[in-house]
Amino acid sequence: MKTIYKHLTCSSSIFLAFCMLGVLAVAGPAYAKENFKLRPGAENKICLKCHETFQKTLKSRAVHQPLKTGKCSDCHDPHTSAHKKLLTSDTNALCTGCHKEVLPENPRSVHQMVVAGDCVKCHAAHASDNKFILIKPGNELCSECHQDVGTKAKEARFKHSPLMKDKGCLNCHAPHASARSDYLLKNVVPALCRECHKTNQASFKRKHLNYPVADSKCDSCHSAHGSNTRGILYDKVHAPVGENKCKQCHLAAGSPNATRTKKQGTELCKECHLDTIKEISAKNRMHWPLSDKVGCLNCHNPHGSRQKMLLAGSVRDTCGKCHADTVALQQWSIKNPKNKGLCEPVRTGNCVTCHSPHAADNLLLIRQKDISINLCGECHKWETHSTHPIGEKVVDPRDKNLTVECLSCHKACGTENKPNMMPFETTYDLCIQCHPERRK
Amino acid sequence: MNAFFKTFVIITGVLTSGLISTASFAAEVLKFSHITSIYAGQEETAIKQPEGIACDDQSLLIVADTGNGRLLRYMFRDKTISSGSPAIQLPELTYPTHAQLNSKGEIFVLDRMKRRIVRLTPQGAFHSYLEPTGLPSSAAVVPRNFFIDRNDMIYILDIFSERVLVLSPEGQYRHQKEFPKDYGFFSDLAVDFKESIFLIDSINAMVFSAAKDATAFSPLTQNLKEYMRFPTGITTDNKGHLYLVDRNGGRIIILGPDGSFLGRLSAMGWKEGFLNYPSQLCINRRGEIFIADTNNNRIQVFALKSSPGDL
Repeated sequence: MKTIYKHLTCSSSIFLAFCMLGVLAVAGPAYAKENFKLRPGAENKICLKCHETFQKTLKSRAVHQPLKTGKCSDCHDPHTSAHKKLLTSDTNALCTGCHKEVLPENPRSVHQMVVAGDCVKCHAAHASDNKFILIKPGNELCSECHQDVGTKAKEARFKHSPLMKDKGCLNCHAPHASARSDYLLKNVVPALCRECHKTNQASFKRKHLNYPVADSKCDSCHSAHGSNTRGILYDKVHAPVGENKCKQCHLAAGSPNATRTKKQGTELCKECHLDTIKEISAKNRMHWPLSDKVGCLNCHNPHGSRQKMLLAGSVRDTCGKCHADTVALQQWSIKNPKNKGLCEPVRTGNCVTCHSPHAADNLLLIRQKDISINLCGECHKWETHSTHPIGEKVVDPRDKNLTVECLSCHKACGTENKPNMMPFETTYDLCIQCHPERRK
Repeated sequence: MNAFFKTFVIITGVLTSGLISTASFAAEVLKFSHITSIYAGQEETAIKQPEGIACDDQSLLIVADTGNGRLLRYMFRDKTISSGSPAIQLPELTYPTHAQLNSKGEIFVLDRMKRRIVRLTPQGAFHSYLEPTGLPSSAAVVPRNFFIDRNDMIYILDIFSERVLVLSPEGQYRHQKEFPKDYGFFSDLAVDFKESIFLIDSINAMVFSAAKDATAFSPLTQNLKEYMRFPTGITTDNKGHLYLVDRNGGRIIILGPDGSFLGRLSAMGWKEGFLNYPSQLCINRRGEIFIADTNNNRIQVFALKSSPGDL
């Protein structure tokens, strides 16, 4: 009986607590929006009595609506708050409370600042002289974070005209989120490009050698942020593209499937890169994607790229397309404060320092046959690493078919939250693997 | 192997699937124990980066000793390994990886360098290259892997033409199944006793399947990255359970016939019982599991103490 009573009491208390929370939840925002029983006429004036500098702020070109109407309590609690600057809630919830339109339903991409709720990284909370109370005007603001893009766009010999116009970046990108495309683009490519570039015009056709490219991905050849190459082609283009020799790989412009390539996979690339393909084929292990129908294009762009060797993305991104597990391990290791001695290629995501991306004679497509002496030794003077015996003559006590080498103690692609690229939590845990007699 | 480690193997091997899989497996317990490891061939040359292993239901074991460019033959009886014949080294097979046996004892091996399947006699002499005949089109065939079922039918995972080719024991084309539309990269395939085909998508850590009469593959599992890193091998046992070789993760993942996660075997490491970049797994009717422990330069043998479903 006692137990039942206890349960009832407990349940009732929880129920009551929920009711109270509910009341508070409803009453809370209402209270915040109220005028706090201000004396008649005090609204618009009472806060500014102490916060005098706002008199000047109010004269800015763009003023946040609540401030303009003197409703400081729309955002601030005049008495107490768990949030900085007496805000009624955290910034994200506070801003999206009114600006619901910022995030479309099921967005394809969202600006990092919006995800993080850092609205104030772009907008001033009270007022500014820029539209939308932005802290800086137009492209100048975007370039604060996207410095590389901003610099390249500014310095490009051939500029993409929308970038230079009034709205700048926002001619193509949505500032908060895009419901249609990646990279916050307002629409998918090529539909976005076709809004300005009329594909049925003779000049367009002529420039594209009469190939039917209206539905092709413009950004496979053109750099939307400008470039030093006429036609804002990427600065690094495949030679046939630069020489207007589309026919070298594609069927003739007038043929029914003109954008198709003459051959598939490496068979096509072999026409010019025969030596490379021969070299690859002579190795024990070809990287498997090279053997499929997509072949070289699994990693390389056929037309142009911002990256070296026409890679589809940075080395880390290109490898990470398939080897996301290893790249995640790298990233985790980078963030791990214990990993002070993180290997440079791991830190920079430069997988090709150790791996040969096309083919190799060794497991894991390692470039050198001997990892310790030849490969790690390229950067690390392993002989002076420590006094620990290492090399071909030192048998690993854990496995008689292994010799002690760098990878006996370290994992080359990173080791999550473990220190010094070791696969164990502590050096002690590592050492007792082979020296159990030292176990404490 | 010390007592501490033996306990570990049991702990990692014993998994009560009731917690993590469907009700039909609620009473199922998988128990594994490490039996032995193989380090060398008959002439005592150390095994180097073996990538293939094939076994039959009697006692024959074929190892693709990839790093040494040879095949090794063993007999496994009463938990004891014996090597009664010299290594097989052929000019037609320079870089042996994935291996399979048919019911006649013929050995099939994938030569990774030439990307060809080599057929050997039961004695280990070169028989022929497996060239599919009677294909419906002249499209190229690039075998990423292959499987031989209990009727000796040959299944080729053709990554160039994105299909599974089903061939007669002689290599005559019978039919094909196209790869599904959305997939990452298929590394291996397996066929169970019902002749259902299973594909392992390494990038998405997913299994696709197609029943014998199905016209297309469909996902058997969701993304299983929670349990594995980069699976590259798949095989089945006589109960229809799936064994996935998680190469980067250094472990074996076991799924029920319906794709439900049952458990894991082993973990990344160097000592016996642990795996480092395993490649292929073979399981016989007695529940003995042979694993090509590639980066540890050895073969490891485990025993499935009680077959799933028997308990």
